[in-house]
Amino acid sequence: MPGKSLEQQSVMVEQSCRRCRTNPAVLVVRTEPVCGECFSKYVHTKVIKRMESFRVRFTSPDQLRKILLPISFGISSVSLLHILDRQLQTQKSKTGRTGYSLHVIHVDTSSVEPSAPDAGLLSQLKDRYPHHIYASVPLHELFMSSADGSPSEAYKDLTEDSSLEDMPADQKLLFLIGSLPSATARADVISTLRTRLLVQCAKDLGCEGILWGDSTTRLAEKTLAETAKGRGFALPWQIGDGDSPFGLTFNYPVRDLLKKELTAYASITEPPLFPLIYEPPKTSQPAPSSKSTTIDDLMKQYFESVEENFPSIVSNVVRTTTKLEAPSTFLSEARCKLCNMPVADGRFGIHGWGGDQEDGLDISGKPSRELCYGCTRSVPPTVTLSQGVK
Amino acid sequence: MPPSPCAICKTNRALILRPKNHQKLCKPCFLSVFESEIHHTITTNNLFHRGERIAIGASGGKDSTVLASVLKTLNERYDYGVELILLSIDEGIKGYRDDSLETVKRNAQQYNMPLTILGYSELYGWTMDQVVEQVGKKGNCTYCGVFRRQALDRGAARLGVKHVVTGHNADDVAETVLMNLLRGDLPRLSRTTSIITSTPSAALANPSSSSPSSPPSHTNIKRSKPLKYAYEKEIVLYAHHKNLDYFSTECIYSPEAFRGSARALIKNLERVRPSAILDVVRSGEDMARLVPGSDEGCGGGCESQGGNGGQIPVAEEEDGGCGSSGGRTVGGDMAAVERQLALNENAQENGLEVEIRTVGVKSQGCERSDSLRSDVVSLVNGKSGQRVKGQAFTPRKTPQRQVMGQCKRCGYLSSQEICKACVLLEGLNKNRPKNQIEVDGHGQEEANEAVDAIEVGLQQVKIEGI
Repeated sequence: MPGKSLEQQSVMVEQSCRRCRTNPAVLVVRTEPVCGECFSKYVHTKVIKRMESFRVRFTSPDQLRKILLPISFGISSVSLLHILDRQLQTQKSKTGRTGYSLHVIHVDTSSVEPSAPDAGLLSQLKDRYPHHIYASVPLHELFMSSADGSPSEAYKDLTEDSSLEDMPADQKLLFLIGSLPSATARADVISTLRTRLLVQCAKDLGCEGILWGDSTTRLAEKTLAETAKGRGFALPWQIGDGDSPFGLTFNYPVRDLLKKELTAYASITEPPLFPLIYEPPKTSQPAPSSKSTTIDDLMKQYFESVEENFPSIVSNVVRTTTKLEAPSTFLSEARCKLCNMPVADGRFGIHGWGGDQEDGLDISGKPSRELCYGCTRSVPPTVTLSQGVK
Repeated sequence: MPPSPCAICKTNRALILRPKNHQKLCKPCFLSVFESEIHHTITTNNLFHRGERIAIGASGGKDSTVLASVLKTLNERYDYGVELILLSIDEGIKGYRDDSLETVKRNAQQYNMPLTILGYSELYGWTMDQVVEQVGKKGNCTYCGVFRRQALDRGAARLGVKHVVTGHNADDVAETVLMNLLRGDLPRLSRTTSIITSTPSAALANPSSSSPSSPPSHTNIKRSKPLKYAYEKEIVLYAHHKNLDYFSTECIYSPEAFRGSARALIKNLERVRPSAILDVVRSGEDMARLVPGSDEGCGGGCESQGGNGGQIPVAEEEDGGCGSSGGRTVGGDMAAVERQLALNENAQENGLEVEIRTVGVKSQGCERSDSLRSDVVSLVNGKSGQRVKGQAFTPRKTPQRQVMGQCKRCGYLSSQEICKACVLLEGLNKNRPKNQIEVDGHGQEEANEAVDAIEVGLQQVKIEGI
């Protein structure tokens, strides 16, 4: 089992590394005992293979390819930064230049997520990997008016009247999140807004794409969580490498590594990555029925256990989902006003399909909001940004 | 706190918290809203047409009992003009089926519907108890699921019925969506959410010329799931408040890991967000359209276009429909799949995998490679060595559209040359003591044409055995 240390498997004591056959093995990766050095190599290869298109030879010397790297301070994104930093140094030492440059962006959600990491971690990252550009952006920046005072696109998308326009952006965000009906809905909307903000940042900074730090395990969680949230239609854009519907490329270079492999990796780097990594406080395993449990939490717990005994099943989920094909017409489809995903045939909302038994009811009276099925579940029609300010 | 009034009639006291959306309802309003939703499902999908004879796959469990009761009510209330009959399959599991079949018999009287009971022993020459005796408890669900799938169609053909309705509910469909994601089975993912599945007339119109002996087919049977959007909890509530007579026991043979795992997940999801079951079904319908090469996968969405265009061919082993609990399907348990996947991964890593497929399999691709059957043989050269680029085979390909044909032995719809049931039977019969076959063979002599093919198979074994 990847990531399992050998002490736990006393049977295998004093094996030598299956790869180099010299050093003693320190852990078992996908049934192979390996030493720390070979394990590092394994992790690097997995990531670098996914970075093929960013090699120096694909970049002309006068070209500056910029990519955005979102940092959540989780194990995956910090490991990705660590690995890419090494790749860039290697490129530089070999060719005198690099294939790309990184903009490392942290979205600060502390105003709406009590367990959000301390944005101060960013300066520690900067100290350790000084060659990149860093910024921390508060989530409410998405609602900031532009320089000429006109409301932001995201804000215009989400509200019909202008009664809240004068409210400061951070208040708008608090107001929106506070009006949502459940923990699942809040987590869902926050992560949707985060993605939107990162896309906006990438465009503002002139980045050609975003490198997401999702591990295999995280992508599998996402697959099932989005399915459960009624957003199965958007999976090709949330899991796959390549063109996103936002005019940028999305890539998931850590997609071939399990969470537990990255955990093992973070402890064997010199020095270990752990001081840079934020672990949300472990509340004693919340009961599945608890009000504060979200669908994302459920899937996280689920895949943590599946990963333990069935790592290949986890990767198979991701491999399979990646085969789903986005409809070729997606660029011309209408977009959801919240997640911005293309909605086939403009089928907004939760009505008008087989599982909706209220077709007969009069729902035509209300102005139909252009939210996709999944976003409508999280932001039901009773919630609008412009409602009920007291 | 004052008692809250019913959210619909606003007069009666609310006694029921609706599982689907947590609406507070009184008993009459709950019953009527439950019924009208199923009516809605039936009418918007044009499930029935006047004059149709419809067999209800009845197990005696809550789903099929509620289905029978609701269909009877709706047929009378809205004058569908359909004739409803009950069709039960006796798998031959002592202590499980005996009692539930008694329930079905009572249901037949209560609802005044004719009942036909067909046994596995009659259809296949094997009861499930005998199968388990031979293959053990592991993997027996595979047999049961495959046999059951065909059994209903065979039974329907025998009764001259072209439409079978089953009690699959929203929980079952959602569970199957998650399970197919976990198993990495896209072709099946694209089929599970469709409300109507039917054996394509294409298979009939184009009988395989190479098999002149192919028996008259029972393959043009339509299947539908009127309870596809009904929550299991609401079905139980409905049965309870209508005082329906049903039998509640899970199958005594345990479910397989994948389905068990998906089921637990669905229950937890429902707790966190009640709409989640419906949301998974919706996702499943949407994802069906994204499966490469499956323009068939229109989920529940395109039936409105009318006609048979929206009907989806079924695979022979699809939704096992296991009695009251909604089906155990093939696919082996998680550990076996894990081992196979790990092997493939290793092989791919070393770039030395050679894939050998059994010859004569018409439609490769999807079913086979994705569900990782053992007919894909990996020859892995232990030492990783010279990796020749381009020479390495990639074991998983883009799933292809399945080509449905007919089984050469029994004529049943199959994507393979020999359908699953016949393959399984062959395995079983090979190991069976000869005298037992004769006993069962006698029992079969009066069986109708549909069963003949199997019988021929059995007799061949007999002859070979002599």
